[in-house]
Amino acid sequence: MTADVLDADRIAHPESPLPALRRRLSGRYPVDPFGLDPQLADLFLPLFAAAVRVRVSGGEHVPPTGPAVIVSNRGFGIAEPAALGVAVQRASGRRLRVVGAPDVRFVGTATRRLGAISSSGPDVASALRAGHLVGIPLAPTWLRTGAGDAPLAVARALTLAPIVPAAVRAVGRFGSIIGSWGVTFGPMVTLPDPYDPSEPLAAARFTEAMRRAVGALLSAG
Amino acid sequence: MTTRVLVTGMGGELGTRVAQLIEAREWATEVVGVDFVPPRRRLRRALFRRIDPRDADRQAAFVEEYAPHVIAHFGVYEPASRMTPASARERTYCCTTATLSAAASTGALEYVVVRSGLEVYGPPTGRVSVPDEDAVPAPTTPYGRSLLAVEAAARGVALRCGVPVGALRYAPVVGSHVPSPLGRMLRLPVVPVSAISDPPFSLLHPDDAAHTMVAAIERRLDGACNIVGEGAATPWQAARLGGRVPLPVPPGLWGAVGRASEIAGAALAPHVVDLIRHGCTGDGSRARAELGLTRPTPTQDVLRELFDWADVVAIARAGEEAA
Repeated sequence: MTADVLDADRIAHPESPLPALRRRLSGRYPVDPFGLDPQLADLFLPLFAAAVRVRVSGGEHVPPTGPAVIVSNRGFGIAEPAALGVAVQRASGRRLRVVGAPDVRFVGTATRRLGAISSSGPDVASALRAGHLVGIPLAPTWLRTGAGDAPLAVARALTLAPIVPAAVRAVGRFGSIIGSWGVTFGPMVTLPDPYDPSEPLAAARFTEAMRRAVGALLSAG
Repeated sequence: MTTRVLVTGMGGELGTRVAQLIEAREWATEVVGVDFVPPRRRLRRALFRRIDPRDADRQAAFVEEYAPHVIAHFGVYEPASRMTPASARERTYCCTTATLSAAASTGALEYVVVRSGLEVYGPPTGRVSVPDEDAVPAPTTPYGRSLLAVEAAARGVALRCGVPVGALRYAPVVGSHVPSPLGRMLRLPVVPVSAISDPPFSLLHPDDAAHTMVAAIERRLDGACNIVGEGAATPWQAARLGGRVPLPVPPGLWGAVGRASEIAGAALAPHVVDLIRHGCTGDGSRARAELGLTRPTPTQDVLRELFDWADVVAIARAGEEAA
């Protein structure tokens, strides 16, 4: 006996409509404990990819397997997380579990179906222990000016896995969702001195280091 | 060296399976069980004593006389499983307090492991949807509170005797031979589901539940540990996997649906309604690391096994068909 496996970590091509419908009606599709429905997510990704044009650089820094955190800047709305998700898929074929599913009925459920997880430390830690690639946006800078503050609530969880910084910039003519986006991944964030991952101070130092790393990528571009 | 193991709740499916596994181990020199119903399978060398847990004096006297080194406490009864919620609560309370306090007084106790459940965490708040063992328990149902009380009683014994105490927080255990209100509800021809949500829940295979209990004893697991099947399913999906018809229920009608379901032969306990409406999952990484549960049976396979179980056919009808 085997489960119907649609990989929760890797993005697949959407199934053709008839088998997909049959699978839906018979309940033979996977769901993960966070609510991700890979079949639905794979169905929607081409729509995102068509709506959000993305140019990727530094894709080799995205780990091909295993748990990792991608920290990026963001502005108002969902454009940056969407662009980051598309960029990660292009770079590694992996699914990005974006942190920040809203605690609102229907909207929260819909975003969880597509792979989002809540912004609580325990959920982020659980996702990393399960081997997911987690995307954490820094605090929004409403006018898209530089990197925002790092999320302290999940800082302890972030020390569980490698941290990769990413800069998401509007490079299109209008600097908005209508235009294109450039996503640059940087080398893994590390601390210059030895540290104990379980120490709160190490987590605080990491949050500052990741904010600086994202800021450097933004100013380099 | 002698190791005497006491299995409370040995008459249940899980208690019997655990007893079978323990009696196959060389380190267990004596295995004894108590319950108000006899074991469900043949046991080769384990001894069984039939005691109703409500007869606390008799239960305590038996435990004191046996003086166990290890207690596997399955005397935790799920409401609407084999008895009414009130009776389940009373039996769980009596069995836990009588057994643990008597065992603590003997001075022989070395280890206690209790059956608990993910119900202790309460429904996901939206902030924490996959709790690990560090999450603060906040049960909202009588069964969740009962489980938390069992854990607290076991911790009290740990403090008094200075022994390690493990609490296995099982995801709902469902299987063709396990009496479970959730399993019964999912096997109805029409399955009530929430009209406004379809949250994920995880299940646990009875074999995984039994093996982790034995692993906890052998490794002397200390503290709480989530035991969860791989992946998840949603109520709508579970109904369709079994070829059942999902019936969307608006929030105010669960009371009426519960009564109708009881008439149909599947009483709905509050913790089952909670699971259908809010979901129930947990982070099982500690069990992977410390109990070796690296490949638990996937939740959807547990459901398939439940639905593959042949429907009950009335003897008279079966006879007619054979003729």
